[in-house]
Amino acid sequence: MNKKFKWHWLAIVLAMFLLIFAAACGADEVPDEGGDDDTSEESGEDDSESDSDSDASGEEGEISGELEIQYFVGGYGDSWWKEVIEDFQATYPEVEIVEHAGPNINEEMRSRWVSDDPPDVVYIDGAGSSETQMVEDGQLMNLTDWAQDLELEDGTPLLDSFIAEPSDYDGELFSLPLVFDTWGTWYDAAWFEEGGYEVPSDFDSFMSTMGDLQENEDIEPFVTTGQHPYYMLRGMLYPAFGAAGGNELLEDIITGQEGAWETDEVRQVMENVAAMQEAGYIDGGTGALNHTQSQMNFLLHDNAFIPVGFWLPNEMADDVPEDFEFGFIPSPMNEAGDPMAVVPDLRPLAIAEEADNPEAAKAFVEFVFSEEYALSFSEHTGALMNIEGVDLSESEEVPPYLIEANDLINNESEVYYKPHPMSSDLETPVSDALISLMLGDIDVDEFIERAEEAAADYSGE
Amino acid sequence: MVQPKKQKYIFLAFCLVPTFIMFSIFTLYPMFSGLYFSFFEWSGSSQTREYVGLDNYRRMFNDDIIPRTIYHDYFLVATKVVGIMIMALFIAVALTQLKIKEAPFYRIVFFFPNIMSVVVIGILWTFIYNPNLGLVNSGLEAIGLESWTRPWLGSTTWALPSLVLPSIWAGIGLFMLLLMGGIANISKSNFEAAEIDGASEWQQFWHVTLPLIWPQIKISILYIVITTLNGSFIIVQVMTGGGPDNSTHVMGSYLYQQAFNQYNFGYGATIGVMILALSLITVLLLQFLLRRDKVEY
Repeated sequence: MNKKFKWHWLAIVLAMFLLIFAAACGADEVPDEGGDDDTSEESGEDDSESDSDSDASGEEGEISGELEIQYFVGGYGDSWWKEVIEDFQATYPEVEIVEHAGPNINEEMRSRWVSDDPPDVVYIDGAGSSETQMVEDGQLMNLTDWAQDLELEDGTPLLDSFIAEPSDYDGELFSLPLVFDTWGTWYDAAWFEEGGYEVPSDFDSFMSTMGDLQENEDIEPFVTTGQHPYYMLRGMLYPAFGAAGGNELLEDIITGQEGAWETDEVRQVMENVAAMQEAGYIDGGTGALNHTQSQMNFLLHDNAFIPVGFWLPNEMADDVPEDFEFGFIPSPMNEAGDPMAVVPDLRPLAIAEEADNPEAAKAFVEFVFSEEYALSFSEHTGALMNIEGVDLSESEEVPPYLIEANDLINNESEVYYKPHPMSSDLETPVSDALISLMLGDIDVDEFIERAEEAAADYSGE
Repeated sequence: MVQPKKQKYIFLAFCLVPTFIMFSIFTLYPMFSGLYFSFFEWSGSSQTREYVGLDNYRRMFNDDIIPRTIYHDYFLVATKVVGIMIMALFIAVALTQLKIKEAPFYRIVFFFPNIMSVVVIGILWTFIYNPNLGLVNSGLEAIGLESWTRPWLGSTTWALPSLVLPSIWAGIGLFMLLLMGGIANISKSNFEAAEIDGASEWQQFWHVTLPLIWPQIKISILYIVITTLNGSFIIVQVMTGGGPDNSTHVMGSYLYQQAFNQYNFGYGATIGVMILALSLITVLLLQFLLRRDKVEY
């Protein structure tokens, strides 16, 4: 009897187990079909384009319905977004706007993107977001044709008005660069003036200023976050590669071309990094610091130079000592005689391929790109929107460092472009090797070998 | 009165079915999904995924970082087991046997880290280890050991050993209580008899206490091993992010990096399968190694 009882239960348990397993597999087969759909997505894309076209013509351009906007809130805050969205709402009262915003919004919205139910408009910025990955996954709408017709208020085509060109994926356009960010090197202008330190303009003067600082202030002058070594890669090395080998070298590095890291230009740049380490100019604690700690060290004059983007003053606004005055220069990794180099880091606005309301999404994107909002962006965030010819000096609310930096970028530096952001599959191993080089654990040859290996792995994928 | 058979089945079903359903949904389903995803190349953030067979497994066997993560995990397991068990055992014996007046106070103090979130502990210790402002370096400087100061979490050599201290500190309390419970259950007459026979405190500990609380010790060791293999990821993620240069990555943190930072969700799932397999093997091995006849006096 007892035996029979056991078998009975075992049967039930097994049946349930099978049911669950079948359900697990069954549920997963659905997206798999979606994956199959994805191969035919290019034709599907045309469908959606024609759908939206017919919508637009059918309703004579009337924009209504629900519009979901996802935007990351980081160092720039969200006051500018609130203003733009409010104005858009006033212009298009029929549209019901749903905002998805916050510092962790990329993670929070991930399940929506996975289940093919994304928001309509997405501002791609912050941890957990990758434009390259979204394009590879076919999640962003192809804007190549539509963007051709966009114009600013004065009639100039939008595509001709960008400071920096949009990311280019084999000639296709999947996003419009909204924020013109650029990495550069920050210093305390007031401190430098008081101490009589020269603001560097090339690698030699950079080394000599760091030497003076080390001697007089008894500090290791350069700091960056070792927990996120890509700050060093994007902030110091990209401009260095741009200055040494132009757009071509930068593109080879970012796309993982074989031999790019072995070129003489790259070797010289890496020798320069090693020289900084050997001279003791790089903070010994760099490896341990996260970005906030490194920025705090910089504000406290434990260090004098730090590579960060334009968002630094806004991000650290609550911790800035009273007499501190932000100064920004393009990272001085260029050889003497060469112009300083700037490599823009663009934060784009895009429309989801699966947007429920593509018309409203397009209207919003078009609405945002205007000179008016470009100026207000600088006022709100202390950074630049990617629109040319905006006169920042006409506003008193734009911080002085930005006007100065803007001038430096426009007049005294050479701007180099990445084709698109580096894939994290390549950036992570290169960054790992970079931090080891900066800590003095490996030499330039080992670094180059590891970087080449990472590029080969990435290209072979 | 004899219970009718039907009633017995209903009662059993009432006890087992809801638990089993929950277990299936929250444990079996994710486990099999993980196994399933390990056969795909998938970014984890879209619907697009491609069946790649055993490619992820091949990649795992060729990944130089994987052996390092396994070593780091077992380094933490070994140091934590030794550190926690020694500390917890001695504190438990001290608090129960030595008749300290402040025993309840110490019990609370030692248990306190257990009620703190591991994330908070990680952040706290990041400050303690901070190269410029941290307690460790300042303390060393204060006692004239300046040459010993170093960027603990920023050095490829010292970062991993530095994670051991907070892990042990955070773990002692729970096992101390567990062992105290075991010791409290030992009949006083055993100790009295040992004392009459002339056994020293140390001999009493070694020949009476230890054998009688062996079941608790065994459970503690198993528990530390399992929680370390599955959970050391949190402290690594908070304190070092796996760096510098992968010198502190454990299997879990590397899984997280691959799945959520590098968008290789399928590969991440493959690492998950490896963690499961290694945890199972380790636990089975430990069960075998720690087997010992139950002692009763």
